[in-house]
Amino acid sequence: MNNQTIPKEIERFDLSARIQHVIMFTTFLLLSFTGWGLKYAYQDPASAWIQFWGGAKMAGIIHRVAGITMLLDFIYHQFYLVNQARKGGFRLSLVPMPKDVVDLFHNFMYFFGIRKEKPYFGKFNYMQKFDYWAVYWGMFIIGASGFFLAFPVTVSSLFPLWSIQWIWDVVIAMHSDEALLAIVFIMIFHFYNEHLRSEVFPMNWMWITGKMSIDQLKHHHPAEYDHLFGDKKQK
Amino acid sequence: MGNWLKALLLLLFTLVWVPSVGAATDAATCLACHGSMEGAVNVDQEKFSKSVHGAMNDCLMCHLTLKGAQHQGLSGGKPDSTVQALAAAISPKGGKDSIAQAACVTCHPDIYEAYKASVHGRNVIVKKSSDGPVCTDCHGSPHYIQPKTSKESAVNHFNVVHTCGVCHEEKVMSEKYGFSTHVMERYKESFHGRKLKVGHSGAPSCASCHGSHDIKSAKDPASPVAGENKKKTCSKCHAGATDKFVAAITHKPMHPIAHFTELALIVLTISVFAFICLHVLLDIFADIRDRLFRKGGKHE
Repeated sequence: MNNQTIPKEIERFDLSARIQHVIMFTTFLLLSFTGWGLKYAYQDPASAWIQFWGGAKMAGIIHRVAGITMLLDFIYHQFYLVNQARKGGFRLSLVPMPKDVVDLFHNFMYFFGIRKEKPYFGKFNYMQKFDYWAVYWGMFIIGASGFFLAFPVTVSSLFPLWSIQWIWDVVIAMHSDEALLAIVFIMIFHFYNEHLRSEVFPMNWMWITGKMSIDQLKHHHPAEYDHLFGDKKQK
Repeated sequence: MGNWLKALLLLLFTLVWVPSVGAATDAATCLACHGSMEGAVNVDQEKFSKSVHGAMNDCLMCHLTLKGAQHQGLSGGKPDSTVQALAAAISPKGGKDSIAQAACVTCHPDIYEAYKASVHGRNVIVKKSSDGPVCTDCHGSPHYIQPKTSKESAVNHFNVVHTCGVCHEEKVMSEKYGFSTHVMERYKESFHGRKLKVGHSGAPSCASCHGSHDIKSAKDPASPVAGENKKKTCSKCHAGATDKFVAAITHKPMHPIAHFTELALIVLTISVFAFICLHVLLDIFADIRDRLFRKGGKHE
């Protein structure tokens, strides 16, 4: 056992996962762009912006088609996970663990200079887990409410009578406010971590290649490195 | 014989011309002065000629009674009883010339019938209130009325919300007449209002559901948004609308549950926003610090 068994890079995302990500962000952008015009309809550039997307009717069609595509992508992802599990070697590396809370505190201590070392991150650090599970939150809150809003007559029959006075306002708030949360989250957190950070600027190419260099892995995900190659001392 | 014929022709010819010589009422005559006068009596000739009434060349059709020595010799026909009755009813509103304001009904009798029975019309005609709108309150000056399809029309599908809002946004009005407060605000923030705002021609304006000239109070069983009618009105767009479905739109202030849910979601959004901003800023700070002071460290 020696260096030769440690590859130069490892695959983090297979082709299917990469395609799922492309569909996810394409539909996310389309939904954000078209939805933004309606959310801020009374702010000035909204009407011109909607015109850019082919007018209110076309923007509505784009929004619905993108929404359904995203939902299908999300559902496909669940089958993908099942299939991964079936193939074996499936690890619950994305499930939030108590260690993530510890890592969060360690990371802040590192930010403030109290700790000299970055946290001992696993395959996915808490920020990446946050990123991943934010999609689930979004799909359940924004996806479900979007589905309700798309078929109001049908869906209204499912709501209990005593909720009718307020349920639609709740649905609208869920859809529009949580969409804003998702956009803000992506624009700041995801964009910083995967695009603007000096190390990855202009972007983390992993979304195309799916691969991460061993140096990167060792530096950013030391626990994963040790898990994979711990018994093969590099030095 | 020949002389008789000539005399008769001359007589007929004179008869044709005499009235118009006596009362030169074509628009050009009036606009010679009013086209350049200042203030309320001014009529913008160009805008007038482009309006739906621009082809009408007779100002006296509406301005049936003219006051002042400058108008001597100019007079239209006597206002008929309908115009007079309406003029009397709308005079408390304090318009300058209630006869002229009422004259619309001469050419638009059907609309007048609908208006008379409407909540607006009854308020003006029966209750003699100064609140209810007359034709010009919604349509603007008859001199400049544009077709409803024109973007400049005050009652155009995309403009009528603003026009209704002139009165229905007023708190005094909602208190006095008991319609829901924030009715305009609630419409505007709804999907209907937003879609209309960004130019969706299929989105309903006020008039799409409530009607226009024949508008009824929502409490009136005959109103298109009252009782069973509401289902019919909603199903113009939402096929198969049920009681449960149509209960969604009331223009009433937001229910406390919805209000606090939205508040909670906003707090959540702001909290996440604050957290990720702090996280990113600290990350940047640590990155810069490491690059400046910890060269040759564990980076690369």
